[in-house]
Amino acid sequence: MKSLRRFFARLANFATRRRDEQRLREEIEEHIALQTAENIRVGLSPVEAQRQARLKFGAVEAMKEDYRAARGLQFVEHLVQDLRFAIRSLQRTPGLTLFVVMTLALGIGMTSATFSMVDALIFRPYPVPHPSGLVTLVTTTHDTSFEDFSYREYLDIRGQAKSYDGVIANADMEPVGFSAEAGATPRVRGGMMVSGNYFHALGVEPPLGRGFREDEDQVPGRDAVVVLGPEFWRREFASDRAVVGRIVRLNGTDFTVIGVAPETFPGMDIVGHPDFYVPLAMARVFSTNMQKNFFEDRDDRELNLTARLKPGTTIEQAQNELTVLAKNFERDYPKQNRSRGAAIHTQFEMRTRADDVNWKFSVIFMVLSLAVLLVACTNVAGLLLTRARTRTHEIAVRLALGAGRFRLIRLLLTESLILAALGGLAGIAIGNGVIQWFHTKESIIFMTELPAAVPFQMDKRVLLASLALSVLSALLCGLAPALQSTRVDLLSGLKSADVDVPGRKRLWGRNLLVVAQVSTSLMLLTAAFLMARNFEQSFLEGTGFAKDHLLMVKFDPRLEQYNAAQTQQFYKLLAERLREAPGVAGDALTENVPLGQDGFEGVAFVPDGFQMPPDRENFSATMDTVDEGFFATMGIPILRGRGFLASDTVEAPRVAVVNEQFAKHYWPGGDAVGKRIRLDSRAGVLVEIVGVAQTIKYQSTTEGPMEFVYMPLAQHPIAQMTLLLRSSGDRDPLQLVQPVKDVVRTLDPNLPMLQTRTYEDLYLNQVVNGPRIAIQMVGSMGVVGLLLAIAGLYGVVAYNVSRRTREIAIRMALGAAKSDVLRLVMGKGLVLVGIGTAIGLAMGFAVEQFMNSMLFNAGEVDIVAYLIVVPSLFLVTMLATYVPARRACKIAPTQALRYE
Amino acid sequence: MGMKQKTDVRQGTLALMVLKTLDVLGPLHGYGIARRIEQISGDLLAVNQGTLYPVLLKLEQEGAIASEWGASENNRRARFYRLTREGRRQLQVETQDWEQTAAIIGRFFEAKAEDLP
Repeated sequence: MKSLRRFFARLANFATRRRDEQRLREEIEEHIALQTAENIRVGLSPVEAQRQARLKFGAVEAMKEDYRAARGLQFVEHLVQDLRFAIRSLQRTPGLTLFVVMTLALGIGMTSATFSMVDALIFRPYPVPHPSGLVTLVTTTHDTSFEDFSYREYLDIRGQAKSYDGVIANADMEPVGFSAEAGATPRVRGGMMVSGNYFHALGVEPPLGRGFREDEDQVPGRDAVVVLGPEFWRREFASDRAVVGRIVRLNGTDFTVIGVAPETFPGMDIVGHPDFYVPLAMARVFSTNMQKNFFEDRDDRELNLTARLKPGTTIEQAQNELTVLAKNFERDYPKQNRSRGAAIHTQFEMRTRADDVNWKFSVIFMVLSLAVLLVACTNVAGLLLTRARTRTHEIAVRLALGAGRFRLIRLLLTESLILAALGGLAGIAIGNGVIQWFHTKESIIFMTELPAAVPFQMDKRVLLASLALSVLSALLCGLAPALQSTRVDLLSGLKSADVDVPGRKRLWGRNLLVVAQVSTSLMLLTAAFLMARNFEQSFLEGTGFAKDHLLMVKFDPRLEQYNAAQTQQFYKLLAERLREAPGVAGDALTENVPLGQDGFEGVAFVPDGFQMPPDRENFSATMDTVDEGFFATMGIPILRGRGFLASDTVEAPRVAVVNEQFAKHYWPGGDAVGKRIRLDSRAGVLVEIVGVAQTIKYQSTTEGPMEFVYMPLAQHPIAQMTLLLRSSGDRDPLQLVQPVKDVVRTLDPNLPMLQTRTYEDLYLNQVVNGPRIAIQMVGSMGVVGLLLAIAGLYGVVAYNVSRRTREIAIRMALGAAKSDVLRLVMGKGLVLVGIGTAIGLAMGFAVEQFMNSMLFNAGEVDIVAYLIVVPSLFLVTMLATYVPARRACKIAPTQALRYE
Repeated sequence: MGMKQKTDVRQGTLALMVLKTLDVLGPLHGYGIARRIEQISGDLLAVNQGTLYPVLLKLEQEGAIASEWGASENNRRARFYRLTREGRRQLQVETQDWEQTAAIIGRFFEAKAEDLP
């Protein structure tokens, strides 16, 4: 309280400064007058009396200074003085100021844009009240640490766990056929199945209508109700408040709109915002997996579980409880839950899990952009050091006049703070530009029919971080020069304008800057080169299949409420009739196209006769469902055995084709053809391997060889399939759109054709343009870093040499040959760059290892990058030493000796 | 460093002396306070009477004393300081603290090695 009160009194005093000075003067005069009178009374002469009185009072100015310090906000006063002074002195060198501000702006801008990305992907909390109480539950097996739960498991956990105020479940967002009125052609929108307690347990209350009731997910198929997402409500219903109570059609079933989620809750996922939510109990309308029964099968694991910890319950307690539950599952359902555990993760843990691509890119970008910032700061530090040294004289005068060293350091730091503030402002503008650029690429990054948004934005958190970065960089690049330049020898400092005090410490600082710049920029360039070359290489390697002259159209008969038999019939007729169409050289049906946006399904299996390890129920691989035309149409060679045939019907024995990688792994010595696998477990369905296909790129062009299994459509029915048509000759595949339309019309005029496009178009967007954005970002960081480093390197090295002009002239005057002098100065610069290169190479190798481990599977050292980068750095250094050294050699000794 | 610490201690002591003076003598101007302290403490303020004024200001900011213009003995305008209620309270607390500290330190100085168990 006391100090608070004093603060306000000081604040008031700050405003009434003049009146107080007056008062103090009066008080001092009065004091001395009274003392003088007293002295006269004891017998001193008036003159002596006053002298004694003044002596006794003490140093008036020092006291006044004390008084002012006590009275006002000395700090603020000094700050205003410092600011004024700093602005004046920065104005004196506008070119340098501009350069420094630009440099910092680039560094800060890059970093704040990256931070907006990292913040959105990693740190931003769930958009619900008290988000930190939410945890994610996952099941764990030998092969995955983050698997979902089945509906039955969810009900058990929800009923038995005591650690939570609500356990909620949701399936992944899925494409759903939506029509606002019955009879209208359905359009694909993103819907999400959630548990009845979803909104309530999250603490999200729809402002319009209501959320689900707990009983609305109890009875399968009873409650056809839907809650709309806020964005969808705005877009599709023009924010119509009368929407509650309306009937809409989802996958051909009527649903009643009961509410709209609040604007503050776009969805729990960072990127994908569902258009609407439906209860889990309506799964029959939405479920994708035709092989499984959602409500009954304990191994139909499609649900993400989120729970709100009870206040006072620790994660450890909840984890212990969950472990017990998982043990119970294992005991009660050994077939489905053998060696399957369960774990609890916080939001942060989920987002930073090692296999998360977002997290990988975030780390890489953050490290790179901080490196750019570091280069920018060392650059500016070098410039400020140079600048501070030309002010040695000024600083010496100030010190001689009695300025405190701390005060001077503060003054110099104020200058760098102003620079950093300006740089920060410009940096925020640059960062914002980068974020806007990202938004223009939104359609490329998320090329999908489901709603998705780039979550990066220049918000309060990013602004705050940029501000902190500015202050940090001000300290980084201002402190060293300030400390050094205030440590001058007064006498020599006063004598000449710019002295070089011999001393190891001083040179050490500048040399360190050169080394830091060289090594950091080398590391940046290595990263940029590595990324660009790796992607380029993966393009050269090819994908393993023919991607030209292909048309793709996706179908989902569930949108028209087809049952399994109708679906099979539809695809059979579709392929048959189009095979006859003119211009069609090949046809194929596949559940997912390779390198598309949807991930492939997994398959669990046991090789027949294989002795499984005791704690393992099965192995897993990735799979696709295709028809008999697939391998031929896609140009994927069958290396051994055969592809699928029309005779592989549902009545025929089950067959599968595996890829070479799979065959090599499980039957390293022999031939996989003729071997058999059992699906799911030792007691599962027997499937015979009839062929081995060449390994291709399945999910990404940078992936390593994957183990892959193909199943025939007739034996493994899937609802949502993509038709692929190869056009004959040099015909544009888009010419085949009309024949497809004609055939579909004869089969079912209401069934929508989804994602009609050429495969090459998808490939360009998905494989080329998306990664290109990442390369562009890393590349521009590398280029910016290199330019800054070169500018800084040149500046510091050239400055170092130019400071030795006098020494060079003396050497020349004493008879040194020009070549000796050149060798002398250039040698020094090259040694520094050499050291920097050595460190940079080490860092570059580390970065390469790091990036290889995170993104690419190829672990080889990229020599070419170093062959280009290292010589160019040496060239710059040679130039930076040569130009000023040559100039110094040409100066006449008489002139140079006077040169300062 | 050593110098500064010494001043700090003295400023604190000085503040306590000012409070006590005003408590005993009632409202006084700066010179009067200085005289009184000089009389009692001897040479503490013999040289630097001016140091009193920053202390007065600090106390006024803390609300321990208040000041107003009045007329001095020789009828000149002078600033008179008086103790506020807050100041009285502060004096009480600090006097107690001081006595306690003094007593403890005193005992320490008197204690001999053989006194310890």
